[in-house]
Amino acid sequence: MSVTRHNAAHSQAMSFTAQAAVKTRNPVLQKALQKAKPLFSGKRAKAIAALPDDGLEFEQLRDACAGIRDRVLGDLDVWLEIFEENARARGAEVLWARDGAEICDLVIDVARRHGVRKATKSKSMLSEEAHLNAALAAAGIEPVETDLGEYIIQLAGEAPSHIIAPAVHKTLAEVEALFAENHGRPQQPRTSDDIPALTREARGVLRQHFLSADMGISGANFLIAETGTAALVTNEGNGRMVTTLPRVHVVVTGIEKVVPTLEDFATLMRLLPRSATGQTISNYVSLLTGTRADDESEGPTKTVFILVDNGRADVVGSHYREILRCIRCGACMNHCPVYFSLGGHAYGWVYPGPMGSVLTPLYTGIENALDLPHASTGCRQCSNVCPVRIPLPELMHGLRQEQQRRGLRPWGERFGLRAWAWIAGRPRLYRALTRIAARYLNWLADGQGRIRIFGFAPGWTAARDLPVAGGRTFFEQYAARKRD
Amino acid sequence: MRIALFVTCLVDLMRPAVGFAALRLLEASGNEVVVPPGQTCCGQPAWSAGNRPLAEDLARQTIAELEAYDAVVVPSGSCAEQIRLTYPKLFADDPVWGPRAQALAARTRELSEFLAGQEPPLLPPGEFAGRVTYHDSCKGLRGLGIKAQPRALLGRVRGLSLTEMADCEECCGFGGAFAENYADISARIVDRKCESIAAAGADAVVGGDLGCLLNIEGRLRRRGDETTRVLHFAEVLAGEEPR
Repeated sequence: MSVTRHNAAHSQAMSFTAQAAVKTRNPVLQKALQKAKPLFSGKRAKAIAALPDDGLEFEQLRDACAGIRDRVLGDLDVWLEIFEENARARGAEVLWARDGAEICDLVIDVARRHGVRKATKSKSMLSEEAHLNAALAAAGIEPVETDLGEYIIQLAGEAPSHIIAPAVHKTLAEVEALFAENHGRPQQPRTSDDIPALTREARGVLRQHFLSADMGISGANFLIAETGTAALVTNEGNGRMVTTLPRVHVVVTGIEKVVPTLEDFATLMRLLPRSATGQTISNYVSLLTGTRADDESEGPTKTVFILVDNGRADVVGSHYREILRCIRCGACMNHCPVYFSLGGHAYGWVYPGPMGSVLTPLYTGIENALDLPHASTGCRQCSNVCPVRIPLPELMHGLRQEQQRRGLRPWGERFGLRAWAWIAGRPRLYRALTRIAARYLNWLADGQGRIRIFGFAPGWTAARDLPVAGGRTFFEQYAARKRD
Repeated sequence: MRIALFVTCLVDLMRPAVGFAALRLLEASGNEVVVPPGQTCCGQPAWSAGNRPLAEDLARQTIAELEAYDAVVVPSGSCAEQIRLTYPKLFADDPVWGPRAQALAARTRELSEFLAGQEPPLLPPGEFAGRVTYHDSCKGLRGLGIKAQPRALLGRVRGLSLTEMADCEECCGFGGAFAENYADISARIVDRKCESIAAAGADAVVGGDLGCLLNIEGRLRRRGDETTRVLHFAEVLAGEEPR
């Protein structure tokens, strides 16, 4: 399958566990994550609690939003055709891309047709799936990220580590150093009070790019079928500059982003900003429809939609369809103990956190992301906060089952599990062996009843002692008491 | 009422005292308590690893062993959740085992649920001198809605004061095989839990799932905390074993 090969080619060479070893020991990253964690969860909790009826409305909204997304996914082809027809009627061009390579080809082709030398971009995770910036640069077109977080990581030559806060892994000191180097000024000591000054500095640089770009590239939070509209939900205003100032506007987004009506969009908007940043509504909500009309003074003269499959169509017809409900709020990662121990880069591909642990295997090939569905404690916080009720733990579990069925688990694990289950299925044998095990554990323990190094569980004792009991199992003691 | 105690494999091997504490609590409730001899493990490790056939085998064995009783009580939210929520899912399309799984699920209770559900809750006169903080284990909390019950029971113990720690509902990083296979991540998560426990200034951290408790105790000790006790709520409620 070409999609799988293409995506897999971009996944990181370093294994997930090796990444985890590095990331959990990086004090700068851990500091940045510890700072962000309570902000994300605290703001969301406040916003949800402020909904009417003590949050009861939240549960009703979740049902409504999940229902809207399911309705679309049930007839995705039909809604896409309706969108295409209405977008074309408003003067937009609608193109279809099967994979990342096709996204790059189409964008570069549009750029060449219109003599584009510089493209400003507002945040688009799909352009990360396609590695679009590198392709544009190779084609002689300068891509400029204009979302502040995206701008920071573009300067750093990194990928986003979070879908709505791409530079959440960066500390203030790192940003100061990056800006000093790239903006040609000496480095200064900074405190968090200086964040507005740094933001102004970036804005000054970006303003020049906004005015000189020939093309704007954006994603879309939703596509509205009945009007052929792209909806953009942003906080910095850069999205409007990108989509209205240049001559050409290209929207790159996934085929699953379509919703039937403006009414549906309004319903989804009651939960998206609340779930993402804890805002009742984001600073900017833009509805972009078609090209500049004759009686309008602003907007692009050319609008192109590039609607991308890149593995999505296969998921629509699979057991994993519910993941396509995702509205990219980031709440699952914002409440994930694993995400906040690692940051996003360790996940190896574009999407981190619980939604990434489902999407990455599905889009890049299950055999290419064996760790991700297992890298979860099963704590269920993700599905607990998901605004569209995606059963993330169940989807990860479905992927675990598929790994087992396809024989993709390590030999030792498969054998160990079978041997253990075979014994556990024979209670008398199990009793006898656990009696021996209890004695063995007790023999390994130090004077305080703790095992420091245990060959059968090296991971456990690498980080923890193993507290053991006195060498006799419950059942052994219970049988002795009954005899007395 | 004839109650079956499902001891759980972890309590059997790693801390039998929790099983005996549960036994004393259930006997004090005035019921006949039986420990069915053919029980081993509920099969959650197999299910969690994604091996459905093995999970089904152990589920059948457990159902057959426990279904004859009026109630099944489990001193673990995680194992109780496996029986209550996963067994019916495993056999949803099975005309024989489906109804049996559902019947067992309906009669199965986690220990604090069962004790708090008794009117009035009969408890031995527990006593505990000190301040405790309660860790909500994920499966019990988000799977079975266990939150108020253990706190209510602990509130009846003489001398005990309960102090909530920050993020008491956040995972401790155990996750079964997760703790072994992703030790670095697990350690980072349990470190945050240890910091919350320390900040709460409690003499003991109490919970309802032995896996989480072994994880927390093991990490506390490795970090050099030799004093904070780590206890199952059954051990606190039932007090010291009578000699």
